[in-house]
Parts: sequence; C-alpha cells; structure tokens
Amino acid sequence: MRLPARRGLTVPVGASPAPDAPIVTMLSDEAAVQPAPGEVLRVAPLVAAGDIVAAGAPLARLRHAPEITLTAPMPARVAAVDLAPGRILSRILLFHEPGADRTHLDVSGASDAGGLRDLLLASGAWRLLRRRPFGRMPPPGERPAAIFVMAVDSRPAAPDPLRALEGAEADLDRGLAGLAMLTDGPVLLCLPVGADPALGRGVPRLRRIEVGDGHPLGLAGMQVHALHPARGDRPVWDLHVEDAAAIGGLLRSGSMPETRLVSVAGDALRAGRLVRTQPGAHLGALSRDLTRPGPHSVLSGSALDGHEAGFLGPRDRQVTVLVRRAAARPPHWFVAALGRASRPRPLIPTAALEQALGGSIPAAPILRALAAGDAETAQRLGALSLVEEDLALADYVTGAVPRFSALLRVFLDRAAIEHEGAEAA
Amino acid sequence: MIRGLWDRETVALLMIAAVAPLAAAWLWYGGVPAALRLVMMLLIAGAWHLIFLLARAQPPSYAGALTALAVAMLAPGGLGPLQIALGLSFGVVMGELVFGGWGRNIVNPATVTAMFLGFGFPAAGWPGVTAPLAWAAIGGVALGVGFGVMSARLAAGAIVAAAIAWAAGMAPDRAWMAAAVVFVLLVADPVTSAATALGRWLEGAAYAGLVVLFAANWQGATPVQLSVAAAFLASLAAPLLDELALWAWLQRRGRIHG
Repeated sequence: MRLPARRGLTVPVGASPAPDAPIVTMLSDEAAVQPAPGEVLRVAPLVAAGDIVAAGAPLARLRHAPEITLTAPMPARVAAVDLAPGRILSRILLFHEPGADRTHLDVSGASDAGGLRDLLLASGAWRLLRRRPFGRMPPPGERPAAIFVMAVDSRPAAPDPLRALEGAEADLDRGLAGLAMLTDGPVLLCLPVGADPALGRGVPRLRRIEVGDGHPLGLAGMQVHALHPARGDRPVWDLHVEDAAAIGGLLRSGSMPETRLVSVAGDALRAGRLVRTQPGAHLGALSRDLTRPGPHSVLSGSALDGHEAGFLGPRDRQVTVLVRRAAARPPHWFVAALGRASRPRPLIPTAALEQALGGSIPAAPILRALAAGDAETAQRLGALSLVEEDLALADYVTGAVPRFSALLRVFLDRAAIEHEGAEAA
Repeated sequence: MIRGLWDRETVALLMIAAVAPLAAAWLWYGGVPAALRLVMMLLIAGAWHLIFLLARAQPPSYAGALTALAVAMLAPGGLGPLQIALGLSFGVVMGELVFGGWGRNIVNPATVTAMFLGFGFPAAGWPGVTAPLAWAAIGGVALGVGFGVMSARLAAGAIVAAAIAWAAGMAPDRAWMAAAVVFVLLVADPVTSAATALGRWLEGAAYAGLVVLFAANWQGATPVQLSVAAAFLASLAAPLLDELALWAWLQRRGRIHG
C-alpha cells in the first residue's frame, strides 16, 4: 500500500548533519533515567545512591505495575535517585563506571507471547513502546489491535532510521516476528519509498507501508490515523524501527543494545553530527564542542516538538541546540492584557494548516474542536490516534496560543480518565 | 521550540497583498471619488475596531481594511454618508465584531454590509464592474492561492460549475466580471468559506451555480447585486457543506476501519 508521495512542509532548523554524515560513537559520562515530558511514573526504587549497577540492571519498578522495570542504560554508579512527593520519579542520575558488567537475561522462555512480554517488561524494553490512545507506555497485560513500526522519521534534522538499522537487519526480522506474537492484528512497517524489499520478509501479518517525504507524513500519528485509527477498545502501539531491531537483539543475546543513533542539530551549532550514544545520555556532552558562543537552549527532541532538558528523553533521537533570543522588552501592560484577553487565538484555515496535518485529516475542524473543548467532535475526527508531537507542526505554522499540542494533551488526559471510569463501571 | 509566523495578522496582510492589484485598478479608474470613499470606509471600520478594542479588549485586525475595501467597491452608490455609515456599522459590528473579531465570525462583514444596504435602500444604484477590474480580480485569486490564504479548491469548484453552465448554454455573459470581483473580495475569505476539502469544492460550485441561476432568472438585478446575493447564500451554506463533507469522510472511514 502506498500513501501520496509529496505532501507536508519543510522546516529550516539551521545546521544539521548530512543524511550520509559519518556516525561517531560518543558515550557520555553521565546519563539519567527519567519520565517522558508529562508522564507520571510512581516508582519503587531498587537501588540507592552509591550502588554500582551493570548495564541493563533494574533500577526501579512501577508501583502500580511492578512488572514494568526501569533499567540502567550503561554500567554505572548511581549518583542520585530523585523522587518527588508521592514517589513520583524525577530522575535517576547515573555516572559511567567502566568496570561494571552487562546483564544478560534468560531468553529461553521468550518463544511465546507471555514469555516475550515478561522479557520486554524485565529488560526495560517496554518503555520503547507507545500506546495510542493517550500516548503513554502500554499497561503490562495489553494486547494491541495493531503495531506500527516506524522506519521513517520526517521531523526536521531527524536521523535516517534505515541508517540506524545498518547491520541489524536480521535483528529487525527477529524483533518484528516477536512483535507479531504480541498482537492478533497487523504489524505495519512504515518505510520510505524504494526501501530494501527484503526488510521484514517472512514475518506473519506484516504489512509494508510506503510513506512519502515531507513532514508530518513520517510521524506515527499520521499513519495510525490513516491506516488503523486507535480507539479506547482498540489500542495501537507504535515504536521506532531501531527499537524493533533492539528487541530482536534482546531476543538474540539477552541484553539491549548499548546505543541508539541520535542526530545533533540546531541554529546555535557550527555543524551538525550523527552520534551513537546511550539512551538517556547527557545532551551537553553530545553538543558542547559544536556550540557557537552565546546564549542557547538545548532540547531533547526536534526543534518542533522537543523539550528543554539535560538528558535525552526515553524515546527521543534528536538533540537540538537553538539560539536563545534575547527576551524582547516586555510589552506595554495594555497590549499584554489584550493578548491574554483573546485566547485561544482564532484559527484561520490556510493551505499551510492543511499541510501541517498531512492533508488527509480535516485540519480546521479537528483543531477548532480541540480549541473549543469539543471532545466529542475531536474524538469523532480521530484525535485519539494523535499525540502531542503530531500537532507540533500545526503549532509552528499557526503560532497558536495556547498550543494545539497542549490542548490535545488536556483532551487525552480527560479521555483517559473517562475511559478508566467506563472500564471500572 | 521554534514558532512560525502564520498567525491571524499575517494571513490578513497576505489577503490584503492578494487584493492589492484589484484595489489599485479600482482606484486608478475610480479616481479621487473612489479614494475618498475608501478612506471613509477605512475610518468607519477602524473606529468600530477601536471601540471594540477599548470596550471588549478585542485586538484590532488588518482584516478591517479588507472589509472597508470590499464595501467601498461593492456597496450601492449614491447614498449619503449617514446611510453608508449605518450600513457599514451594521456589517462590521453584527457581522464580525460581536462574534469576537476576525477569525471567529461566520459571515463576511462586507457581504452583510452590501446585503444590508441593498435591501435597505433598493433605489440606490449598484456599481458596475469593468473588464480591467475583472482581470485584476482573477490575478488576485491567483496571488491568494499562491500565498496559500485562498483555497484553490474553492476557485476550482466555481470554475468547474461555471464551465458546466457554459457547456449547457447557460453562460452568465453579463455577470461573470462582477462574479469574479465578488469572488475575490467576499467568497474567498478563508474564515467564512468552507474549511474542508469537499466542502470547498461544493461551496465554490454553489456560488457559481447561484450566480448562473440569478443571472438567468432574476429580472432587473445588476451583476454586482446578484453576485453579492450569491456570495451571501453560499457563505451561509458553508457550515452545512462542511458538515456534509465531514459526514461523507466519516462514512468512508467507518466503512474502511469499522
């Protein structure tokens, strides 16, 4: 199946690595295990400050789902376990410890769905999965209606997923076969046009989807919305193709790969670069030597949907360093009051807005429904298939205040509460 | 995180840029009286924007200038300043500002003004449209579509419907120039026209269809008058056409995904 080739927009972000730039391996001395922005993880820590842990060793379990384990991305000494009141994880800070070992899990039981599920939960690979609706980690017992594996990423300056895959094609097939055990529905492998036809061959219930270039077509949300919309009773998972290969590697060797491919880009850099680094790496260590002098902010994620952070987010594959513009003189109080009085700002449907949602979603109706708080219409038009990153381009294009991605998060959180209530009743 | 520039005022300025050739042609042929008329409209629309700024904290918009231009070009002539001020005030306030300003209105304030003046003062003569204005209007549509602020589907729907009418021998020879000018000034407004793909095709076709219908059957109507009436009815139908388009889209999705 093939989706229309050329749609969407191109967003300039300053220096970015060429698609075929050399890949350097840079392991930072510090790394942190932390929740995704907005995610609340109540944890029971298994380590304390000062402990030496092997790579892949469990660091904490979730209190409401103790099967889900957070694991160390590298051999390390635990520097700090920061919990907010309510045992909400802020971060677990790790210092690299060269002597420490690597954990190998027993993979002999992973030949059926239950065993594979236990392996993913115990190895920390569960965190690589994202569930729609609501855009969070799936609950441990869930069986999704479909799994999307994204081998395209159209965000500005994103690393090419197929390059991340080089040398791991066999692991990918193993990982896809494992993912197929976790669902009764299809596994949809989204590939760029003209990708190697051998990828994923022989995997049961696999559908290859060819995706054209242009942001936002390479976001999982657009593909989920078009091909297999998520609903409360029909959840859909998505993960990056490199993570699918990592699951294959886990099935082969019993441990997760040490590194992932990350691009470093942004207008505050002299040049971009492609690095292989550990999950949760320190962002400054990856970008500091390329940064031009002057004030700047470091984001985990792309220039559109990234968040200012010190460490790489759980699913992020981009570091963006942006020039921090000097704060303009605060506007006159009257002008400022006017700006606040007219929120949410009106939405003018333009061609750019349509392209910002890929052209196949009725952009103005769904965004107007979100801005007006009309949850029923938003849900009817498929907002449950989307997460914040899918509306980041619409935020960029319209300069919306408040951001549509924030409004979508409010809608999703409210829908999640209603869904829980309906299930409990 | 970076932000783009396409907020409401950018769109309004691009709309003004798109109709600038039309405005220039109109001022060139209209001379000083046309310029004075435009200045008066700008003053009245600006005054209402200022009043709503002070009384309701509604930021003013450059779109007020679009309204002023459209009213100056399309409203019936030969009226006194009081009547004009009354009509434009009704259009700007009841058509736009009471809804919260440009971007939240459901009908174009210039369309409301022209209809109001046309109904209220039927003896006043409607302006004529000459060939240079019509060509400037077509250029304006091309500019607007190129800037991305006017919908290509809307224009295509109108052209397709007009072509069908022409093939059927119902071509509105006497109305097409006025219809083009009214299209760029009133129908192509991105806020009050349909917002879905299919809805835009339908609205464009509805506008052209109504123009054909009125040109054939409305005895005694001038081209501008019947085009404005067609624009008014088409923009009132736009939400319904959007609903139809969404309904069709949801039906198709329901069939595919269950």
